[in-house]
Amino acid sequence: MIATPPVASGPAPSAIASRPDRPVVLSCQGIERSFGGLRALKGVSLEVREGEILGLVGPNGSGKTTMVNVVTGFYPPQGGRITLYGDDVTGLAPHRVAQRRVARTFQNLALFKGMSVLDNILIGRHVHMRPSALGALFYWWWAEREELAHRRVVEDVIEFMQLQDIRDEPVEVIPLGLQKRVELARALVSEPRFLILDEPMAGMNQEEKEYIARFILDAREARGVTILIIEHHMDVVTAICDHVVVLSYGEIIAEGPPAEAIAHPSVVSAYLGERAAKRQRGGAAA
Amino acid sequence: MRTGHLKTSPGQLVALSDSPAVWAWVGALAVGLILLPYLVGNYMLTLVVSAMAAVIGAVALNMLTGQTGLISLGQSGFLAVGAYANAILLSDYGLPVWLTLPAAGLTATGISLIVGVPSLRLKGLYLAITTLAFSFIISHIILYSEGLTHGPNGIFVKGARLFGYDVQRGWPLYYLALALTAGTILAALNLTRTRIGRAWIAIRDHDIAARAMGIDLVRYKLLAFAVSSFFVGIAGALMSLQLRFVNVDVFGLILSIEALAMIILGGMGSVAGAVLGAIFLSFLPEVLRIGFSLVTDPNSTFYTNYVYEIRGIAYGLVIVVFLRFKPDGLVGMWRDAKKYWSNWPLAY
Repeated sequence: MIATPPVASGPAPSAIASRPDRPVVLSCQGIERSFGGLRALKGVSLEVREGEILGLVGPNGSGKTTMVNVVTGFYPPQGGRITLYGDDVTGLAPHRVAQRRVARTFQNLALFKGMSVLDNILIGRHVHMRPSALGALFYWWWAEREELAHRRVVEDVIEFMQLQDIRDEPVEVIPLGLQKRVELARALVSEPRFLILDEPMAGMNQEEKEYIARFILDAREARGVTILIIEHHMDVVTAICDHVVVLSYGEIIAEGPPAEAIAHPSVVSAYLGERAAKRQRGGAAA
Repeated sequence: MRTGHLKTSPGQLVALSDSPAVWAWVGALAVGLILLPYLVGNYMLTLVVSAMAAVIGAVALNMLTGQTGLISLGQSGFLAVGAYANAILLSDYGLPVWLTLPAAGLTATGISLIVGVPSLRLKGLYLAITTLAFSFIISHIILYSEGLTHGPNGIFVKGARLFGYDVQRGWPLYYLALALTAGTILAALNLTRTRIGRAWIAIRDHDIAARAMGIDLVRYKLLAFAVSSFFVGIAGALMSLQLRFVNVDVFGLILSIEALAMIILGGMGSVAGAVLGAIFLSFLPEVLRIGFSLVTDPNSTFYTNYVYEIRGIAYGLVIVVFLRFKPDGLVGMWRDAKKYWSNWPLAY
């Protein structure tokens, strides 16, 4: 058991020490964010290290998605500081964060409904595309080569995510599990250094979950992406994450290697209530 | 619909169309359009040129409303700006027409940026009302800045010569209109299949996700306003060349409604749809006229007396019927028909 205090507002020194000493990708210090009278984040501090899969878990309404929205610029923090690869990105607009090669997916699918699967994925290349307005208007002569180069990257990812059969389908008509995969593909084609996945497995059955988990591991393996994942399926979290941060009511209540963090008494009581936590403690004592 | 998708070179993946049949039809259409002045009379040619101005306007509005999802009722304002810029530069300053046409487009672009900036925070109905207000403001400015626009008197447009031909009548006007229309359609298609068009559609479909993809909303919405109104300005300039007289009354609210009706009828967001819708609605009054002449007695002046009202009712009816029964417009109907016949006689 790690000695993380139940209401620690920063990463406990022992937890940091247990992680491999890799460069820090994302560092958040004392992030504050309120909505009206509700303090959604109460001074949250966390670090994501290069090449790791960090799981951000917690009960509903604990501030996980808010945290991601703060990091990606959708909700500028009201206090605290965010650095990405050492650069201060606090309060940067979402598209500026995206241009720093941070890609994300959304909790509730956020695909472009009027487009085909292929066009949806092509949009992911936006940050790498540079033809001017005039170049696009009179296009073919000097933009074709660039369009083709992007198309090649997209085709690679389509193959990687096994979406070949449906690339020309309108994204609206394909099943939910595939839509989630398209969203992941759209995030991957931007060749992110840091990828944020907000519940990529919500509403999936066991088989689909395993599929996505494999893609996530492959993405890290083959592309060296650092990943922050919000997920409710604890089996997946323990299986693929290197490090887990548990949020509850806008505060970090535990942090550490997956199995330990999830078994932490304050996490058990946050999820299952005080009685279950007591019972677990009693069982451990006996 | 062809079922085969075998591509043998990467270029085919990004081509406008990889179907030889499509190119054959486009070629036939091009030949037909080039030969048109030899085939039809002046009256028909005049109708076709008006239809072409409508096509340019509809394709341009489609960029803003159909693709970027910014509903604009300011079309008539931008048409007026383009027409007046062209008229003033041609008649009062005596500039050549090859300069006044792009200048008309750029003037509309410049003014669109002024409208565009406050519009960035507005969506849907609110943006529609803002742009509507804009078109009224434009007509007031035109009416009261008499020194520049001759106020209520209007301007006679004259002296537009290109390669020695008078491009305000007959076949020279027709060929100028044809070139402008072809250029606009090609530009719209190219925009649609590159970064900018995709970004516009992304903003329309899901602006939050679009931002997460690195799309700068402010920049791309302004770009949509700028590019769209450039072509609307050109359409206005073309109208002024054909009408040979511009006046505030020409650019009433009905033009904005008409343009919206065109892209709804054709199928929102589709370039082909905007073209089809514009052609359909431009020839609708003519069809109505012939229809009325068939059912009423030859001396009746019913249609000529109420032409404005009848047209208004027809546009309204077309919008309602299409929104209710064919929300995908003419393009959607065409797609369905293709699907049906490619599988015929089997249902699937």
